[in-house]
Amino acid sequence: MGKYILKRTGMMVLILFLIVSIAFFVLRLMPGSPYDDDQDLSPEAIEALNAKMHLDKPLPVQYFYFLKGVALENNWGTSIKLRPGVDVFAIIVERIPASMVLNIASLLISIPLGILAGSLAAVFKNKLPDYILSFMVIICISVPSFVFASLLQYFVAGKLEWFPLIYDATGDTAAQIKSLVLPIMALAFSPIATICRYLRGELIETLSSEYMLLARTKGLKKAQAVMRHAFRNSMVPLANIIIPMFTNILGGSMVVESIFAVPGIGGILVDSITVSDYPLAIGALLFYSFISVATILIVDISYGIIDPRIRLGAKKS
Amino acid sequence: MSMNYVSPDKLPEELGKLMAEQFEFANTGEKIMDEELKTVSRGFFKDALFRLKRNKAAIAAFWIICLMVVMAIFAPNMNEFTFSEQHPDFTNMPPRIPVLEDLGIFNGQRVLTNRRLDSLENPEKFPAGSVLGYSNPHEVRGVTLVDVEVNYYKYIGADDTYFWFGTDNMGRDVWTRLWRGTRVSLIIAFAAVMTDVVIGVIYGAIAGYYGGKIDFFMMRFCEILNAFPRVVVCTLFIMLFGSGMLSMILALCVRGWVPTARMVRAQFLRFRGREYVMAAQTMGVPDRALIFRHILPNSIGPIITRTMVAIPSAIFTESFLAYIGLGLAPPEPSIGTMLSAGQKVLLQYPHLTLFPALAISILMIAFNLFGNGLRDALDPTQRGQE
Repeated sequence: MGKYILKRTGMMVLILFLIVSIAFFVLRLMPGSPYDDDQDLSPEAIEALNAKMHLDKPLPVQYFYFLKGVALENNWGTSIKLRPGVDVFAIIVERIPASMVLNIASLLISIPLGILAGSLAAVFKNKLPDYILSFMVIICISVPSFVFASLLQYFVAGKLEWFPLIYDATGDTAAQIKSLVLPIMALAFSPIATICRYLRGELIETLSSEYMLLARTKGLKKAQAVMRHAFRNSMVPLANIIIPMFTNILGGSMVVESIFAVPGIGGILVDSITVSDYPLAIGALLFYSFISVATILIVDISYGIIDPRIRLGAKKS
Repeated sequence: MSMNYVSPDKLPEELGKLMAEQFEFANTGEKIMDEELKTVSRGFFKDALFRLKRNKAAIAAFWIICLMVVMAIFAPNMNEFTFSEQHPDFTNMPPRIPVLEDLGIFNGQRVLTNRRLDSLENPEKFPAGSVLGYSNPHEVRGVTLVDVEVNYYKYIGADDTYFWFGTDNMGRDVWTRLWRGTRVSLIIAFAAVMTDVVIGVIYGAIAGYYGGKIDFFMMRFCEILNAFPRVVVCTLFIMLFGSGMLSMILALCVRGWVPTARMVRAQFLRFRGREYVMAAQTMGVPDRALIFRHILPNSIGPIITRTMVAIPSAIFTESFLAYIGLGLAPPEPSIGTMLSAGQKVLLQYPHLTLFPALAISILMIAFNLFGNGLRDALDPTQRGQE
């Protein structure tokens, strides 16, 4: 097991290294130095800044400094347009809490709702509730989260005025939570539907298995049999789709955050791309990559624990 | 059970003396043959089509996709406006559709807030027939102000103009732009997915057919590529190569072919050891023919399914990129660029978001439904699994 974890971790480190390298070349292939546009700086000042940021050295040396900065010193460069001169890493760190609250909250509310909907659909298989749920599932999976966000913002916030239009940064905690309700909802539709669809499939398979028949024959009521035997067995594979879902929510939340002006990583990514603040945009992308790679690592390792065959070299799928 | 068998040496005398000519065939008059099979054998695709046709939702989705494609091809030329032509006098016009306007929807209606109630009678301010109604009367400094519902086209004196889906902030016709945008989004999605499939099939076929070390390294490469977050890859790619249509397609492909390659490889591993492949190999069939003529056709079903599933996700990624500011350069519209532009003025001019939002939702739902139906039809063993 230790060897397996080590192997997977090594792989992920390699992937992060590749992403950071590509990010470096994207940054450096942009023409000119980031300070060239700045009218307030004298040529000497630009030269000094370039020297300070190692921009006057050959590319391989710059690459070395960049890698060292990202990996060891939390030095991800400085923002050039959005908040000139401010450390990118500091901006990202400051933005993490809002993003995390948003994403974790939508994951947390979608798990019980998805499980509820999925079990209902499975128990009422091929009856009216199942059809209604299947219809809703296909809509929730298909329609992008930013369309939901626009709809909620226009109707629930704009017309009904139940919730604020955008994130309330100045209000107290209650007001802030209230203003996060709509973005959380917009992000939750798709995971709810995904869990529902997956659990329905799993449960239907389990419900028709022989040990369910045995459970009924030995005198358990249907509800008892479903709760004690079918439900438990379907929960194990569910764990494996919930963790990767987090990356999906995080991706969707980039746009949703910017729609609702939530001060998170997604918002900063969109803003920095709009004003061509590349160091900041790439900082946000690196953060996203770290989360995504960490998620894959967690899934791989948990697969290894749940299913020893994978650890011993057999392939998934 | 008693046998009527008698051993030859115990045969009655007279039977042993029978001559060959004395024997005759029984049943010579009638032909004896098996009943002919009455069922018609159905090929793979006929069978799949039969199952697909029973899936009503998938068929409906198929026709919706056809309709959207036809509209994307022809609709941009259906009225007199072009997608980039600006009308400075007609910015942000509300939608107005000839027949529907009589039913009270899409009638070019807009609410003007805080107008003087007494000015409603003034034909210079409100041309005849432009006022549809008013609400929310309130008094400010002795003057009664109301929110007036007007037919905006009559209000600005352009009664004979019809922008079916309204106009955007530069006075460009939303109808034309929407369908042109749909066309662009569909082209990007189709091109990206086709490239994915070609690369994925070749890559997966080579890995699966040759196996061993080649397979090991090719699959490690896939694994590494697959761990790259899609958003990050696309964003970096477009930052580097600019946001043209071609670089958009390539950005979607960078990592999009991996699932196809994996699937094709799995199919090849399954069929590589079959007897018919060995037989062909023994007869000296070259590798290329074995791969493409003998093994690949087995995976045609999953490949089609995969294509159908990949299209909506490509459409989604395209509009996602447009949303984070990496869309096509103006004036070329795509559904994503229209959505992100409309989002900024959502509360004032909801029609700018409504139509592209509807278009992308309908496309995504239709492709997903049709993809599901196709999967069930082409691979019945997978039915109900996701």
